[in-house]
Amino acid sequence: MSDRIAIAGVGQTVYRRCHQDKNTAELVREAVTGALEDADIGLDGIDLIVGGAAPDALCGIYNIDLMSISRPGIPYFRVNTGGATGSSAVLAGMTWIAAGRAKAVLVVAVERMGHATTAQSIFNSIFDPIYEKDISMSTISMVALRATMLMQKYGFTSDHWAGLAARNSAASVLNDTIEKPRHFTKNDVSASGILAWPIHRLEACPTSEGACAVVLMADPQVGARNAAWVHGTGALSDTYAMGDRFHRPEGSLVNLVTLEKSAAKAYREAGITNPLAELDMVEIQAPFASSEIMAYLALGLCGESDAVAFTERAIAETADIAIQPSGGPQACNPISATALIRITEAALQVRGKAGRRQIDGVRKTMSTGQGGATQFSTAVVLGKQRP
Amino acid sequence: MDDAEPLAIPGNWNFNYRYFAGETATRFFEELRDNSRIMGTRNPVSGAVMVPARSFSDVDYVEATEWVEVGNAGILEAFSIVGTKFPDLPDPPFVLGYVTLDGADTAILNHVTGIDLSDIEAAAKILLQQPRVRVVFKDHREGRITDFHFELLSKRDPGGS
Repeated sequence: MSDRIAIAGVGQTVYRRCHQDKNTAELVREAVTGALEDADIGLDGIDLIVGGAAPDALCGIYNIDLMSISRPGIPYFRVNTGGATGSSAVLAGMTWIAAGRAKAVLVVAVERMGHATTAQSIFNSIFDPIYEKDISMSTISMVALRATMLMQKYGFTSDHWAGLAARNSAASVLNDTIEKPRHFTKNDVSASGILAWPIHRLEACPTSEGACAVVLMADPQVGARNAAWVHGTGALSDTYAMGDRFHRPEGSLVNLVTLEKSAAKAYREAGITNPLAELDMVEIQAPFASSEIMAYLALGLCGESDAVAFTERAIAETADIAIQPSGGPQACNPISATALIRITEAALQVRGKAGRRQIDGVRKTMSTGQGGATQFSTAVVLGKQRP
Repeated sequence: MDDAEPLAIPGNWNFNYRYFAGETATRFFEELRDNSRIMGTRNPVSGAVMVPARSFSDVDYVEATEWVEVGNAGILEAFSIVGTKFPDLPDPPFVLGYVTLDGADTAILNHVTGIDLSDIEAAAKILLQQPRVRVVFKDHREGRITDFHFELLSKRDPGGS
């Protein structure tokens, strides 16, 4: 058994509102073919496929992965942790390698939400039907609740939300995996109308479809491939009930306790003691500006006392670390795949294959996953060096 | 073939369900409907009062059998003012938020009224102060979470039961 695992190849479709010209299996095949080619391996070398697919109702096909991801002759299982699905699938795949049951694992996640013509009414169905669903909750108001808490607790303003959204939109213009990047300014965000105060329309991630695939490989097999090495990982679950997280000693609803603990474990494994100094970039699974700020704290990029100041440096891109080089989920958020895309982006950057958005000299990265009402967190440190 | 519009086959999911609430939630809703009371259950390990009532603590995974009535007023911990019409949700603007009722250790979600929403920014400024709110029961209650909502208390009125 090897304890060293690498990402040997990645493949992605472009991401767009709707892929009207492809069925789901065709979308998946495009990403899979790309990943296998990039990893220089055939399907006959794959020992396991892990599929990532989040709520079925968004695509309107029950168990969409069975018809699109699973392949004859290869063991298969599906992972679903909401927005963390893609990164949870990577961690699940790694366990097979760590256990010696696989040398190469294909992880595939696909999002088909463009099928849905009333996505927000589907999102209401994720809430507890006994105590909460009838209170007209949506995923957007769920996020807005936390944003208001951050404003109360740390003094953030609507300007910060708009500033981060604008910075992420500017970064996305260089991202060739996004078919139609939206480029807008802070003032455009503020003028775009209230979805659920304090969230404005342009702060919300657009409907996004696409597939993403990565090949995980055990060390001896990686050989001389240009790979991104896994230096550390962590994953943890929280209670489902948001109302139970207001008065806990370990932190309130805006303290992402599970991400903090996941990151701490990943840092420990990676030998990182000062994340801001030692990481070159982070890709955070944050579909909204407020989610990104909660992650800064949990990842140890700033403390409570300098959270606002750090955010302002992050907006001005003077934070001594590259944040969301892809534009992040605010630019493009195919739910089932989005946490896998955060890992894929880091792998591309580490391997020097990020095209126009390539950052010079990326050696260590952090990618996060967040799912449910921040119920699930994952943290993955990738590095250029074989650990 | 090159000019053909890709085919999109129409679909629709229209399934009906009934969600089994369990005995504890059933009693919680009975108390709401019949006695206009908001009841919680106590976690026997930590002593924390869970509102709405749960049959067990998700923290300690132990059964919670002691029932506790909580106050009819509390603090608005977090809120949002929904400003856009979403399919199957009420017409905007409306406010929802989590409230910790007096005597409770967890927060409960519901709609919030009693604030002028003609100027959303001005309303938000008031709600950001974590104001006290009181429970308002519907006249005709049916044993659902919508049998009550929260209403802002003025600063002079401490509220509570």
